[in-house]
Amino acid sequence: MSTNQPQDIVKLALDSHDNIAISFSGAEDVVLIDIACNLAEDVRVFSLDTGRLHPETYQYIEKVRDYYGIEIELLSPNSQDLNQFVKQKGLYSFYADGHQECCAVRKIAPLRQHLADLDAWITGQRKDQSPTRSDVPQQQKDTAFSTTAHTVTKYNPLANWSAAQVWQYIRENDVPYNKLHDQGYNSIGCEPCTRAISPHQHERAGRWWWEESTKKECGLHMINVVET
Amino acid sequence: MHITFVKKILANGQPCQKCADVAKRLLDSGQMSQISETVIADERDPNSVGMQLAKQHNVSRAPFFIVYEDNKKDSAAKIYTVYFKFAKEILGRESSKSEQNKEILNDNPDLDFI
Repeated sequence: MSTNQPQDIVKLALDSHDNIAISFSGAEDVVLIDIACNLAEDVRVFSLDTGRLHPETYQYIEKVRDYYGIEIELLSPNSQDLNQFVKQKGLYSFYADGHQECCAVRKIAPLRQHLADLDAWITGQRKDQSPTRSDVPQQQKDTAFSTTAHTVTKYNPLANWSAAQVWQYIRENDVPYNKLHDQGYNSIGCEPCTRAISPHQHERAGRWWWEESTKKECGLHMINVVET
Repeated sequence: MHITFVKKILANGQPCQKCADVAKRLLDSGQMSQISETVIADERDPNSVGMQLAKQHNVSRAPFFIVYEDNKKDSAAKIYTVYFKFAKEILGRESSKSEQNKEILNDNPDLDFI
């Protein structure tokens, strides 16, 4: 499986599930849409509209919708939960106490609700995006969103591709891309939590740069455990 | 029932933030009294009790809970690395959706790129 090309994985995913959708972040994962639209006519795509995206990203989502002639389902946060969160914490609490709470309301909750009605989803996750993604497989049971009654399968067709390979595909196939990429934005998320980076910085440096990496680390470093 | 709560100390000596969060939830909900023992997995000390328990049970995340049905630890251990599942199945406490969503993100840090 690890040597399969993204096209093979997308085809496998679409052939294996009727109830499947592509997650589109409004960035270079547009490659997945391009691949899927070359394989099938009825491609389902969704994006998480956190309400805090750049104007360029909203314009880009619209451009992708027009270019491929597809519907893109925009998932919004639950208004009651969001109102309560903003009322209590304000609009920029993530700078003080981390982005998790905001992401949980604006991203995880709507994503979780949406995946409860899907059997599988396709993401643009790549191993080279972050240390936390270094072991991303091309296909996996999604343990985060599967329940005892409902298994969700996650496909990561780009897992083994580098950023350079993704951009080579975009250029060779004239795939539309987000204008922010031309302004030094590598990884694109919400406006307050994304910044442009220099060419030699890792793309993670463009997201949540104010947070300590140790606070993101929940793993136990088992390499330190020795026999007694 | 015997429940062991394993908390982590990071390699830099700082307490694990998530472990502290879980401990606070246990305290605030009055459920800490149901925890039989709390031990430390100190990344600076591979022989610390928690690190040895992690190795014994093949656990790679912290915090985690080890649950035995009887106090003698004769039964098979159940391991929980997700607090809200532990709270629901063992303590009979259903976490709020908000708590669950935050924990999902904490346990799957790659999701924040979605």
